[in-house]
Amino acid sequence: MQDQPPTIYVVDDDEGVRNSVRFLLKSVGLTARTFASAREFLDGYQPRQPGCVVLDVRMPGMSGLELQEQLNLRGAVIPVIFITGHGDIPMAVDAMQHGAFDFLQKPFRDQDLIDRIQRALDRDARNRAALAQHDRIRGRFDSLTPREREVLTLMTRGKPNKVMAAELGVSQRTVEIHRARVMEKTGAASLAQLVRMVLDLESQDAAP
Amino acid sequence: MKADSHPEGQLGVPAAVLHGRLLHVSRMATIGEMAAGVAHELNQPLTAIANYAQACRRLLARPDADPTDLQQALAEITAQAARAAEIIRRLRDLARSQHSERATTDINALVREMIELVESDARLHGVHVSLELTDGLPGVLVDVGQIQHVILNFVRNSIEALASQPSGGGRLSIRTSRPAAGEVEVAVIDNGPGLTPDVMARLFDPFFSTKESGTGMGLAISNTIARTHGGSVGYRPNQPSGACFYMLLPAPPAT
Repeated sequence: MQDQPPTIYVVDDDEGVRNSVRFLLKSVGLTARTFASAREFLDGYQPRQPGCVVLDVRMPGMSGLELQEQLNLRGAVIPVIFITGHGDIPMAVDAMQHGAFDFLQKPFRDQDLIDRIQRALDRDARNRAALAQHDRIRGRFDSLTPREREVLTLMTRGKPNKVMAAELGVSQRTVEIHRARVMEKTGAASLAQLVRMVLDLESQDAAP
Repeated sequence: MKADSHPEGQLGVPAAVLHGRLLHVSRMATIGEMAAGVAHELNQPLTAIANYAQACRRLLARPDADPTDLQQALAEITAQAARAAEIIRRLRDLARSQHSERATTDINALVREMIELVESDARLHGVHVSLELTDGLPGVLVDVGQIQHVILNFVRNSIEALASQPSGGGRLSIRTSRPAAGEVEVAVIDNGPGLTPDVMARLFDPFFSTKESGTGMGLAISNTIARTHGGSVGYRPNQPSGACFYMLLPAPPAT
């Protein structure tokens, strides 16, 4: 799964701080890319690239919170760690409510930052694996013929083969063949698993 | 000291002078906000220095540590330390430009001079103000603007505490007195909720604030001002309820 090494995107308007974070991450073998503003980051960020964002909450122009909102709007899954100044707790709480992964107060202990980044990268890998899994399952369902799809719908409604045959105007034997093809193509081991896959795909379609 | 330029008792001060003083008071009030900004600014180079130092420690623990990496980090640490020093130098220059001018002053006149400012603030928040000024107090050698800043700070704290009470009926009083032969006290007393013991313990710590938007510098600066005058600030609960913030200033024994 981890074919590409993850990138840590460091977004901070303070050059001294962002370079020092990149250097610190390099010392533990992590690759960082630095950005001086939220705008610069949005222009340079590759959604397919695994990683996480380390973001200063206070920046001129687009603030850290606004950037988080932009990422949410774009449906980005990348975890964001906010860096706040001393006494910025209300702002940190706000960030967490907007879906931030974690936050850290400046100045921080190096190990605290590295631990949080590790956790964020784990989360990112899991998110991406789940999305890839969804894509695979969707691909399998897309390969069903229109007739197989009809059978799938009736199966998930719990209709017995006899009823399906009557509704579709085919023989029970034909229904059994379609049914076997549906199970084979989707890779579902049981009717219960098939139903779960369908529900997962539907809930993913319903998400923004 | 020329007697005519600093008459004892500040009543009848020309409007322009009063205006200048009030400007000075409001400038002092912004120092609290400025201090929070300075704290944030200093935090940046400190964060960078800490990051580089911690990275160096990690690099040195590795057998394949590259000396050029270490040299680069050390150069950055030096640059960031210089940056922090520059911030402190600018702050010091600013403090020096605000030199203090002291004159022997009637504390009651000093309070009366600022009462309009206090009352307009209080009215806005539905708080009633009264004065309890003791006659015949000895003069105190003070920078009028700075002492007014401290009193204003006490008053603002009280007004905020009173305004947070839904019941209304907030009252505050500015009281002057002579608790002992060598000192004059000016106190701001209110009938608000008073302070809890844990707040009381940290009251004068820099950056401690119970207000979400507070910088935590108001009382810390007040404390500094009082101490540069050879005095002190303090808090005691008011009886039967409420808060009393006071400032003690040294005064010559009454003549």
